[in-house]
Formats: sequence, C-alpha cells, structure tokens
Amino acid sequence: MLSYLLRRTAAAIPVLILVSLMSFAVIWLVPGDPAAAFLDSSATPEQVARLRHELGLDQPLPIQMMEWYGRVLTGDLGQSILLRRSVGAALLERLPVTLSLAGVALALAVTLGIIAGVLAAIRRGTLADQSIMTLALLGLSVPDFWLGLVLIVVFAVGLGWLPSGGFVPITQSVSGWMSTMALPALTLALVQMGFIARMTRSAMLDVLHQDFMRTADAKGLTHRYVIMRHGLPNAMMPILTVIGIIAGSLLGGAVVVEQVFSLPGVGRLIIGAIMSRDFPVIQGGLLFLAVIYLVINLVVDLLYAAVDPRVRL
Amino acid sequence: MNWKNFAFALSTGVAALALSPIGGHAQTRGGDVIVAITQAPPTLDAQITAIQSARHITLHIYETLYARDENAKPVPDLAEGVAISPDGKTYTFTLRKGVKFHNGKEMTSADVVASLERYRKLGASASLLNAVDTIQAKGPYEVVVKLKAVQSTLLDNLSSPRAPLAIYPAEEAAKGANQINYIGTGPFKFVEYKPDSHVKLERYKDYVPNPHYTKRDGFAGKKEVFIDTVTFRFMPEAGARVAALQSGEVQLVETVDGPTKKRLETNPAYKIYPALPFSFQIMKFNHALAPTDDVNFRRAVTAALDMEEIMAISYPDIYQLDGGWVYPKSAFWVDAGLKSYNKPDLKAARELLAKSKYKGEKLIFLVDNLRPNIDTATVVQQRLAQIGVKVELQTTDWPTAVKIGWSPAGWNLFAHGFGVEPFEGPGTVMAAWVNGVSQQKDDPEIDRLLTALNSEMDVNKRKALFAEFQTRMYDEAVAVKIGNYGLFQVATAKLKNFEPFRIPRMWGVTLDK
Repeated sequence: MLSYLLRRTAAAIPVLILVSLMSFAVIWLVPGDPAAAFLDSSATPEQVARLRHELGLDQPLPIQMMEWYGRVLTGDLGQSILLRRSVGAALLERLPVTLSLAGVALALAVTLGIIAGVLAAIRRGTLADQSIMTLALLGLSVPDFWLGLVLIVVFAVGLGWLPSGGFVPITQSVSGWMSTMALPALTLALVQMGFIARMTRSAMLDVLHQDFMRTADAKGLTHRYVIMRHGLPNAMMPILTVIGIIAGSLLGGAVVVEQVFSLPGVGRLIIGAIMSRDFPVIQGGLLFLAVIYLVINLVVDLLYAAVDPRVRL
Repeated sequence: MNWKNFAFALSTGVAALALSPIGGHAQTRGGDVIVAITQAPPTLDAQITAIQSARHITLHIYETLYARDENAKPVPDLAEGVAISPDGKTYTFTLRKGVKFHNGKEMTSADVVASLERYRKLGASASLLNAVDTIQAKGPYEVVVKLKAVQSTLLDNLSSPRAPLAIYPAEEAAKGANQINYIGTGPFKFVEYKPDSHVKLERYKDYVPNPHYTKRDGFAGKKEVFIDTVTFRFMPEAGARVAALQSGEVQLVETVDGPTKKRLETNPAYKIYPALPFSFQIMKFNHALAPTDDVNFRRAVTAALDMEEIMAISYPDIYQLDGGWVYPKSAFWVDAGLKSYNKPDLKAARELLAKSKYKGEKLIFLVDNLRPNIDTATVVQQRLAQIGVKVELQTTDWPTAVKIGWSPAGWNLFAHGFGVEPFEGPGTVMAAWVNGVSQQKDDPEIDRLLTALNSEMDVNKRKALFAEFQTRMYDEAVAVKIGNYGLFQVATAKLKNFEPFRIPRMWGVTLDK
C-alpha cells in the first residue's frame, strides 16, 4: 500500500509541472494585466507603467516564471496582487466555505442519487422508474444559477425561512452554518443528484441480471439483502467514478452557486483572479485544483480496491 | 375598579408623555446598515486606486485637506483654509486642531506632509501634483506647498474624488502601496475586511465634525453619524442583491435595473433614489488607425448617430440628453459647440462619408461585457450600416478592453462610461484628451488649452478656455458624447435622510427600528 501511494505521488509531479506551464502560457497569451483592476479608463500610460512597476509586473515573463518555480519549491505560492495576502493564505481562508458546500452537497447528492438510482433500477419500466428518471433529467438540465435564484425567491424572500446568501462558519454558530449552507447545497445537490441517479440505475441494471444475483436469490436471501449486499457493491465502480468527478467539480468549480449566494469560496477566488488578472492567485489556484483532482482520483482508486476485492493496487 | 390606582397611573402616564422628547427632532440613533455593492474593492489603500468600489468604502474612513461639496466645488475639510501668495505659487494651509486619527493620535502637519509626499510617489493620479515643488511643515498646524508654476487647479486636485489624496498617519504613509493599516480621520473606523465577502466599518466615537459647517455637503460639510456600523457586502449577482434587500438582509442596494425599480417602487417598504446624472456614456475614436484617423469620417459617424435612440436602449428610464463635457450643474457647463450635439441626419452623414477616405473597410468596435456598453455598440453598428459603414463588434472583459483601448492598434471605436472625471472638473475631462491618451494621437490644440487652463487663475477666463475645448471636441469630432446616465439606488423605507451622491454616504442617515 505504501509503495502504491509513493508511486502515485511521484506520478503526480509531472502533471503538476504541466499544469503550471500551461497556466503560464495562458497568462502570457491572454491580454490585460492587473493594472486595469486598480486604474480606470482615463489612466495615462505613465500611470499604468508606474503601477506595473510597483506591482513587479514589468519584469520579463521568463524571469517571473523562474522566480515563481523557485518559490513554489519552498512551498510559497507567492503574494496576491490584489488581496494583500499570500496565495496560500487566500486559498486556506476559503477552504472552509468550499469544503462545507462541497461536503454537504456531495452527501445529499450521493445519498439521494444512489437511492433513487437503485429504486429506478429494481422497478425498471414502471411509473416509479420513469418519474425518477424524468426528475433526474430535469435536475441535471436545469441551470444552477436559475435554480439557485428560484430557491432564494421562494425560501428567502417569500417564506423568509433561510438567508439569501453569505456564510457563517460552523465554529461561530452551527445553526447559522446550517442555514447558510442549506440553499446553496440543495441547488448543487439537485443538479448532481441527477447524474448519480442515472449512472446508478444504469450500473445496477447491468448487475441485476448477472448469474450470481440469481444464485443469491436462490439461496433464500431476502431480495433487499441481495440488492444491497451483492448488487450495489458490484455496481459501485462506475458510480464511484462519477462521484469522483462530481467531487472534483464541486471543490473547484461551484463558482456560479458561490456567486449567486455570495459565498466566499475557492471558485469565486479563482474566477475573480482571472477577471482581474491576479496572476499569482490564478497560478496558485490552478495548481490547487490540479492537486484536488489528483487526490480525488487517488481516493477513488483506493475505494475501488476497498469495494472490489478483485482490484489489485 | 380601584379609582385611586387608576388616577395615579393616568397621571404618571401623562407626566411621562409631557417629559418625553417627542414632538421635537428625536433622531433614531443606532442600527447597523448593510449596503450591497456590485464589486469588491481592489484595495482599501485609497491613494493607489481610481476604482469606484474602493471609494465607496475609503471615503468613509479617510478625509482630505480639501473636499468637494455637493456641486463639486473644493471646500476646506481637514484644512481650516488656505492663504495663496500673490504670485499664485505658494499655498499655506492651516490645519484644523484636535482632529484625531482612528488610533487616537492627533493629526498634525507631519502626517499631511508624509501623506502628500507618498501620493507623489505612489498615488494613482500622482500627476495631479506635478506642479508641486516642495511640501513642508511649518509648525504643527501649517503646511506650505510651493509650486514650480502657477496651477489654478491645485485645490481641485487636492480634493480629487477619483484616487483621493487621503491623509494617513505619518507611520502609515511611510509604507508601500497596499501595505498600510487602514487608519484615517473619517467619521467611520475600519473594523474588518473579509475578501469576497464584506468590509465592516463602525462609527468613530471621537470624530469631531467640521465646526464650520451646519449640514451635509458632498464629501465635506458636517459629517455626523447616527448609526452604529455600516457593512459593505460585495454581491456581483443582481438578483441576489435584490433578494437580500427583500429578505431584509441588506438595507441599501447600490444599483438596480429598470424592471426591478418598477417592481419595487409601488411597495411602501422601499424607497427608490435615482442618481442622475452619474456618468457620461461616450464613444472614443482611435485617431491613429484608419479610417477613424480621418476627421471627415469621424464627422460622418457623429452626424449619423441618434443619441436618444442609443441612450433609451442602453439606459432606459435613467438617462439625460446633454452634450456638455461636464455635468449640467457644474459651474463650468457651457453650450459652446452644442449646436452639433445630437443632430442625426443620415443624408448629411452620407455626404460627409463621401468626402472622407473611407473605402468600405470594416471597423473594429471595442467594448467590454457590460450590457449597456454592448447595447450602445450594437445600436451604433446598426445605425452606421444605414450609411454604408461596416462595423464589427469585439466584446472582451474589462482588463482586455482597457489594455487594447490604451494602445493605438486593434480598435477604431471604444464605448464606455466616463463617471468621476466630469465630476472632478474641466481640467480632468480635458486631461483625458491630452498627449493623445484617449484618442491615441496628440492634439496640440487641446494640449495648449489645458496648459492655459492650469495656469489661469481667473474663473471667467477658465470658463472661456473650457468653452474652446468643448468647441474643438465637436469641430474635430475628437470623440462622441452620447449622453448622461444614472443609477437607481433602492433602500428600505426605514433608512431616512439618505441622499444619493458619488458614493452611498452613510453619515447623516438614520435607521428606524
């Protein structure tokens, strides 16, 4: 197991180097620089040049790259141009929001999605199956900003039960945290649930007609036990893959929901950095996202091995 | 019924009523106001940025020697006044005594000198102080500014509301760009800044409003605070801002669109505050690239445009048609050149086009992704198609638009707002066209006019110079002034005595329970 983990970590390094090279390439190619975030359209060329000099942006790109790699190797992701704090600190500050949102949304989506998918599979062809699949399709087709705004209008403005945005850390107030997480997590979960339900149904259908299922039934085990103990674990591989993908996108990319609900998460940080050309944050953010995906892929592979004894690491 | 007790209760009640302070102006004190603004500020170091969202916040924390009143006239704020030498080159500012910074320290000349010197080095509009030779403290409450040459706009510049010449404590002024602690002299004190979330300020209890004024007046006047805290929440999503207002999470929204205003104005729980004019809508020509380098072509384009059509589509219900290059209430507003404003005439436009060097090539119309700017570009594109001019829209985000717009290549037309410059004054408006900054080709006549304005102390002569500038803008079709637009600000009806201005001012307002 240890040698497996070491091999995977070593294999991650070329990926991270490639990601950082690509982010430098993008920064070099995309026009605009952070000066536009500080100055308005009447700025003179002298004002722009002076600000770029103050921000250290007038150095040639290869030198900026070398300095950045030098710093990263010591664990320093550099200083945000706009936020006046280190990139690492900026990411860490936002991690609780993103982890909360992703965690709650994933838990909801996985639980309800798998239950819905299993139900649809065992009642294949019935009204229950068709309704569940229609709802799932609706869920994954609906744009998340629209869904978020509708939930706000109904629950925050109309009923006044929940706040329309903002984030309360769990360390400050558990009930506050729950109420600020409810609507955004629900928005994300309703969309992702659709994917998980459909994948679960499809994977379960493949498994339900296998011989070993018939054997288990014939042994006299209850049908529910057969589904849950023999059926679902065998169907888990593709489901785990989908869950891994969703976890990755939730951790890095719930930007729209963060924007609609004014949540200071990682997605909003990176998009904001792109819009204001805050290069250190863009680079640090992209590296962070790459690490997230690599870690999730590793966890999913370990879960494959845990769920399916035939898989050898 | 016990009549004795009843009588006692009744008389106590009457006495309480008689003694309580109703009937006069019992101001509701206290309360926390939350303002939803559209963008997070790039920094709270007021001196180094010219961005609006920073000013919303910094102009509550910091003050300047002179500040603009409601009509943009510079008046003393941290200064008591100024004595100007007969040759116009020495300004002796007397500072107010007993002004405290938020850390309890008294403001003295050392702080003013350090802050102004920092601005000369790091300020976003450092060129405002180009005419300054030396700045020296003379005793604790006097600052002497010596100029290299006469600068009629020095007080305008010191009170610039664009990238303010905020007065910091000398220890903070010694720090680099964006490295300061946020300590000012303003009526609100900095509490916390959560990036991507909010900035919170609280009433500074040791703030002494300027005793020479009796009421609120622009950025100056008497700044009294009747609320406990103000929080500026960054909410870029329009729907979320309005939802927060309607669910009571915020009390004031920086801007809402026309349909939202119509929906809310019939509801007595809210009050709409139109802030008009707030900005110009302009279209720049690139004088360094064909065909917009040709004055006849530019005149043809200008003659074709129907300004009302453009403004009514881009800023419905909140626009004004005015061709002046300052705001209508400015002391410098003139009608010179305005006979050419908004005279759409397609026939005349085609004739001018025939006289020009235009050979049917496609123009690039650069615009950022703000909806009204895209609308402006679209309407212009359609209109110019009617006289046979081909226009291709290039929509980018703001940093890209600005980067391209700051260079002489890659664009012919560029439409955007122009908000604080006309408020700042004629000098700032003219400066945008000096050294070819906006039009990418130097115009020696405009350069000459600004130099003359800067050294002319007589107000009437300055007005005449501005009139010459405006005439030139129209004669040479340097750029197109399309019209003025505004903002709809909406607040809970519980917020009283709010008056929209360049920033949502939180002094002078009260919040009912």
